[in-house]
Amino acid sequence: MTAAGPSLETSGLVKRYGGVLALAGVDLRVPEGSVCGLVGPNGAGKTTLLAILAGLRRPTAGTVRIAADRRGVAILPDTPQFDPWLSAREVVDLARALVAPGLPHGRVDEVLADAGLADDADRRVGGFSRGMLQRLGLAATVVGRPQVLLLDEPCSALDPAGRREVLDLVARLAGSATIVLSTHILADVQQVCDRVAVLRAGTLLFQGPLDELLIGRAAPAYVVRLRPPVEPVERALAAEPWVTGIERMGAVELRVEARSLEEAQRGLVRALTAAGAAVVAVEPAAADLERVFLEVTA
Amino acid sequence: MSLWRLEWLRLVRTRRLLALVGVFAFFGLTGPLLARYTKELLKRFGGGVTVNAPPPTPADGIAQFMANGQQLGLLAVVLVAAACLAFDGQRESAVFLRSRVRRVADLIVPKVVVTAAATGIAFVLGVGLAWYETAVLLGRLPAGRVLLGTALELLYLAFVLAVVAGAAGVTRGVAASALTTLAVLVLLGIAGSLGAVGRWLPSHLVGSLSDLARHGRPGDYLASFLVTLALIPLVLAWSIHRLTRRDV
Repeated sequence: MTAAGPSLETSGLVKRYGGVLALAGVDLRVPEGSVCGLVGPNGAGKTTLLAILAGLRRPTAGTVRIAADRRGVAILPDTPQFDPWLSAREVVDLARALVAPGLPHGRVDEVLADAGLADDADRRVGGFSRGMLQRLGLAATVVGRPQVLLLDEPCSALDPAGRREVLDLVARLAGSATIVLSTHILADVQQVCDRVAVLRAGTLLFQGPLDELLIGRAAPAYVVRLRPPVEPVERALAAEPWVTGIERMGAVELRVEARSLEEAQRGLVRALTAAGAAVVAVEPAAADLERVFLEVTA
Repeated sequence: MSLWRLEWLRLVRTRRLLALVGVFAFFGLTGPLLARYTKELLKRFGGGVTVNAPPPTPADGIAQFMANGQQLGLLAVVLVAAACLAFDGQRESAVFLRSRVRRVADLIVPKVVVTAAATGIAFVLGVGLAWYETAVLLGRLPAGRVLLGTALELLYLAFVLAVVAGAAGVTRGVAASALTTLAVLVLLGIAGSLGAVGRWLPSHLVGSLSDLARHGRPGDYLASFLVTLALIPLVLAWSIHRLTRRDV
């Protein structure tokens, strides 16, 4: 990833809808070429932030600086809609003609194929499913080779295969475009984003590299896989003074959270032996964005 | 694919062009027929009603076209224009277009011009049919006066389109824009009937074609002509200003 300078920067961004404060002084900074996952609960202000970045809404206060021409910024709404009497090819060609008229017509077929719509290129979009519309929206968004890409829930209507294709496409664009991807699916963020911004009630709670969020926030924990019975072991571990929490994960797995990593390293195996546990495996719990997200937004 | 072609396809593929042309052509064909044969029709189907009226004149042919076509034609124009100009009613479609143009005016101008052209063609076709049929059934009309009246009616229709654009800048959605436009036109019509001020309002141009065909004075329309000519760009500019400042 390149990280020359901020491709996109907001300063003290405030947005009010009447008496409702949607954004409360957001200072977002996304380096050039990075993929930033914008996460937050419903009503956090993600769509508002993306709309302001795209120039579709005016901030009440604050500034937006984007190192790209207006036509170099492309946004994909969460439920793309197009005039139903246009064909998929016409939609993408219109987008091409408006933002990058210098690109050849062949570029239209290229992005339609990338979106898995080559066979439906000449169909009217009025008959498209929601997933097809989302893929068409993505094709129309990338056709002009934008420098900044704002994607609002790009996988929300897709089946697993479609979601995989979209994430692959985003991953391929990483480096050549700066991408802000708003999503509820934290696994998607972990797969394709190198940065994350956590928004709650219009306030940016965290922004930075994904690793920084996961390493800095996740409580030290181990996953222990046992042979049944699991309950006596669970009771024995819960009695240990350094154990701060135990969570059952399926029938034979325990997630053991510790006061500190060192205490867990010293005490876990000893406690398991003392409890007479039949241990299949012990491993450090992987940092889990969902868990960290809930912790940060709590 | 350009925005101009997009608007053309919108008219053709949604059959709105057909609706516009159909309404004006229908009344263009039937207006003079009714003017010519109303007496006979009433005698035959009116249940013994006797009509004592002077024989129809060529001006009656055009007047009948305008009387029938004015309201339905105007309604069709308002609905077609609102469906085109109230594009913010569907946010996701609006985002697709708005995020890809430098200025909102780039979107509005093709919408207004293409809709105005289609409206103009449909109305002129209706007048042409009414004129031809009048000539065949009732006699010749004064060409200069018909052309002047047509131009004034076209100017009024252009003003109606500007009002629709203005309404789209104030409200969202096709129905809201159409209803707001109709309310403005009705209010203008009422204001126009209240006194001398009416001669200055765009609504004074309504019916100018029929009046001029009946030897009305062209000078009577000068004030409303000038006011309407000035109002159209003003209302359009205001609409663009409103649409530019709108959050979507």
